[in-house]
Amino acid sequence: MTRRPAGALQRLERVLTMVPWLLEHPGATLDELSQRFGAPRDELTEDLDILGYCGIPGYGGGDLVEVSIFGDRVTVRMADFFSRPLTLSVREAVTLLLAAHALASVEGLAESVPLRRAVAALEQALGAQAARVAVDLRSDGDQWLAPARQAVANGAVVHLTYRSASKAEVTERDVEPWSVVGSGGGWYLQGYCHLAQGPRDFRLDRIKDLRITDRSVTVSPPEQPSPPVYEPGPDDLAVTLELAPAAWWVTEWAVIDAVQDRKASKRVTLRTPSVEWAARVVLQLGGDATVLAPPELRQRVAELAAQTLSTYEQAAI
Amino acid sequence: MTDRLERLINLVIALRETRRAMTAADIHERVAGYGQPDYQAFRRMFERDKADLRDLGVPIETVALDASDDRSAYRIDPRRYNLPEVALAPDELAALAVAVQATGLADEAEGGLRKLEVAAGEPGTARMVKRSPLGISLDAPHREVLVAAQVSRTTVQFRYRPLGRDAATRTVDPYAIVNRRGRWYLVGFDHDRDDRRAYRLDRVEGVVRPSGDPGAFAAPPSDIGVEDVVPTPPSGAPDAAQVLATDEVAWQVARRARGGGEPGPRRWTRFTVGVRDPDEFASWVLSFGPDVCVEGPAELREAVMTRLQAIREASS
Repeated sequence: MTRRPAGALQRLERVLTMVPWLLEHPGATLDELSQRFGAPRDELTEDLDILGYCGIPGYGGGDLVEVSIFGDRVTVRMADFFSRPLTLSVREAVTLLLAAHALASVEGLAESVPLRRAVAALEQALGAQAARVAVDLRSDGDQWLAPARQAVANGAVVHLTYRSASKAEVTERDVEPWSVVGSGGGWYLQGYCHLAQGPRDFRLDRIKDLRITDRSVTVSPPEQPSPPVYEPGPDDLAVTLELAPAAWWVTEWAVIDAVQDRKASKRVTLRTPSVEWAARVVLQLGGDATVLAPPELRQRVAELAAQTLSTYEQAAI
Repeated sequence: MTDRLERLINLVIALRETRRAMTAADIHERVAGYGQPDYQAFRRMFERDKADLRDLGVPIETVALDASDDRSAYRIDPRRYNLPEVALAPDELAALAVAVQATGLADEAEGGLRKLEVAAGEPGTARMVKRSPLGISLDAPHREVLVAAQVSRTTVQFRYRPLGRDAATRTVDPYAIVNRRGRWYLVGFDHDRDDRRAYRLDRVEGVVRPSGDPGAFAAPPSDIGVEDVVPTPPSGAPDAAQVLATDEVAWQVARRARGGGEPGPRRWTRFTVGVRDPDEFASWVLSFGPDVCVEGPAELREAVMTRLQAIREASS
């Protein structure tokens, strides 16, 4: 989305927002205005000077807005036409509703409850002007959002009990948390992992337990944190899969080296850090993906499928 | 710059305070800042100012003077200009400030947030809020055009490629933009199918174009929401399953389960899990490999076993 060019329009918007407040607060100081409206004093003084030349056509005595600046104190009168702020533009309304719906849908954030109230009040006030927006970002790991965020804010090391995508067993590790980021429908804690000795992303729904320690972070976050998408390294294994249409979503989610469109399927080559991780993904795709290469992945998928099937026979009632 | 600011303030006041709508000639004659001798230059300046003010959200209405007269006149209805009565509590304003920051929308939302602060008597609230370490991107594809069409009730057209099928042109009355678990959807009324449908916005090819005039459809039904984009299981399909989990993953299965787990056969713990979409359920079960096993009902259990057999055969 493009931003409006800075200049007259931005300053107009500020005047139309500031004057209603000034009408109710005669004698407000320039410092307070500068702080509340986030603009330098000299710019505000200039805006107010200009406002004093404006008014109702005719522009005689009694038609002009009265602006007086005595010392540091500002008083505006004769501007009843600006007693309410300009209504929200469609863009502003949608932006606010989108953001509010998004965080309101997440369980366990301190903001969720006040945001739900704000959304209801805004939608009622705007009526037909409110574009319909609905957002549901709930996920299985929401319970860790609040503590993870607190740890980042306090710069405290966290102790994680975590199950990675390629294994069933959990591991214990200390992580220096940098940020909590949502991506592709899941939330991730990003930080420096002491066990792996490098930056890692942890999906909140795979966290079994999170404990905030009393130790402070020592490794500073990278200046440009990367989004939580798997980025292949040079030593990673190249894997070629044939995907039926139901599994094509994989191409939107993993980093793909090559795609070959065939009649009713796609052949994709992607890179993976471990055979085990790729085998689990193939299993999850439930027959909509077939391994073409390498042979060790084919073998591991067959083993996993057979092993899982045997649990069905053993656990049978 | 300051000349333009002065001119724009005067135009807003004049159009708001006038008793009858003003023609361009009225504005040329009476509004300070527009009185230049070259009338064509005035017209260009006025058209640009009008467009910019509308973009800012100033509701400048065009009024046809009378049926035989093709001249237009302009006015601002104060009731549409004024921010509606809405007074948010301080904690609601602060939460909104965190929300726009976390979603990366702070720059776009700044002006709107400030208006709400003034309406609540506390401008500057958002600026006091500490930077939050939360971050999530909410950049919906085609958002701007869809929102504009939604608010003006304009039908849209786009090329859409459903999973595994050929792209076709769809004609849709846009009702709502929905995000469920990271994916964006448009919910709307499909003209060709004569029914309400949901579209994944990442499967739209090319651009979304408005088609026809604003006001083309009535207010959308009020029950539209996230439910519209959740796949519905075929009627009569089971809505819950019993699954067995090993100790290693029981904690993770428990988060989706209804109620707590109970001891199952041998080393297993038994959980009851809600099922909305059988395919999604099967994929979730298989993501645990040999650590989760479907006990029943038989059709869900067999669906998972069939997949496993297919995988075993394809890989051996």
